[in-house]
Amino acid sequence: MKKRSSKKGNILTENVIFIVLNLIFLTILFLFLFSKMGDVGTLEEKTAKQIALIIDSAKPGMEISLSIKDAVEKANKENWGGKIVFIEGNIITVQLKEGRGYSYSFFNDVELSKNYHYANEGNEYEFAVEAYKKGGAVESNEEAE
Amino acid sequence: MKKLNKRGTDKIISVYWFVILFIVAAAIVYMAVVFYGEPYDVRETEANIMINQIADCISQGGEIKDGVINEEGKLELTNENILSRCHLTFNVENFKNWKEQEQFYIEINFYKFDKDASDGLGVGFGNKIISGNTNLKEFCEKNGKNFPVCVERSFYTLDKDGSQYVIKIKSIVRKTEKNV
Repeated sequence: MKKRSSKKGNILTENVIFIVLNLIFLTILFLFLFSKMGDVGTLEEKTAKQIALIIDSAKPGMEISLSIKDAVEKANKENWGGKIVFIEGNIITVQLKEGRGYSYSFFNDVELSKNYHYANEGNEYEFAVEAYKKGGAVESNEEAE
Repeated sequence: MKKLNKRGTDKIISVYWFVILFIVAAAIVYMAVVFYGEPYDVRETEANIMINQIADCISQGGEIKDGVINEEGKLELTNENILSRCHLTFNVENFKNWKEQEQFYIEINFYKFDKDASDGLGVGFGNKIISGNTNLKEFCEKNGKNFPVCVERSFYTLDKDGSQYVIKIKSIVRKTEKNV
């Protein structure tokens, strides 16, 4: 009787340890995946490139509103109180935590509105493309006429 | 004996189970690192947008814009003024010597239709307009993600006299370090 009961106990303990180990293992795996998915660097890069491409394809007179909810949430998580998006010349920098942020340039030589702001509780970044920077442009046929 | 064998088999199964688990985990970790570790490659999109901008700068509504070809039939766009006239800037962020070697190259070829030409295209008109880093051009023949991205597109247009042109635009974007 004694032997039987001790064997049962062993089997139960082995199984419990086995399951616990599996759970720990899978938890670590999922934590790693989630950490990679919501990585600050990736989000900074994605947002900076997204804005750069939007500006590249924009024309003067356009008003652009871009949802940056993910970035704002991440910045809040990282306790970053500074500017999330800033544009200097033709270089965009997105910063969601302490550090240098991520910069990317755009080639469209446009003048952007100085008063770009955050709308919809800070979840949307709004700015306007005002005019092309340099003169000497090729005029459209309609304008010439 | 039977019981002993069963327990031995159970242990072996659990060892295999962990081996399989580790293999699956390693595969998932590898895929995650590869997928999230590599930057987003937006160079092809950039090159296409640049071509669109140049095309908009040259032609509108299927007709060549004023100021592109003068009354004598010569190109007014030159290597020197193409950037300012098409509102382009090749200025880039200071990153791994990017400032020292330009990251863009554009090439625009004007072909005028000529019935007398053997191939149907008169290539005598105008010269090609180029701007940016000419060294990037040689990489267009090579395949591989570590090379600059080359995109070439062409369109048909007319001048005021109704002469037909084919305009070929080639755009090359390097920016390898931030896109690969």
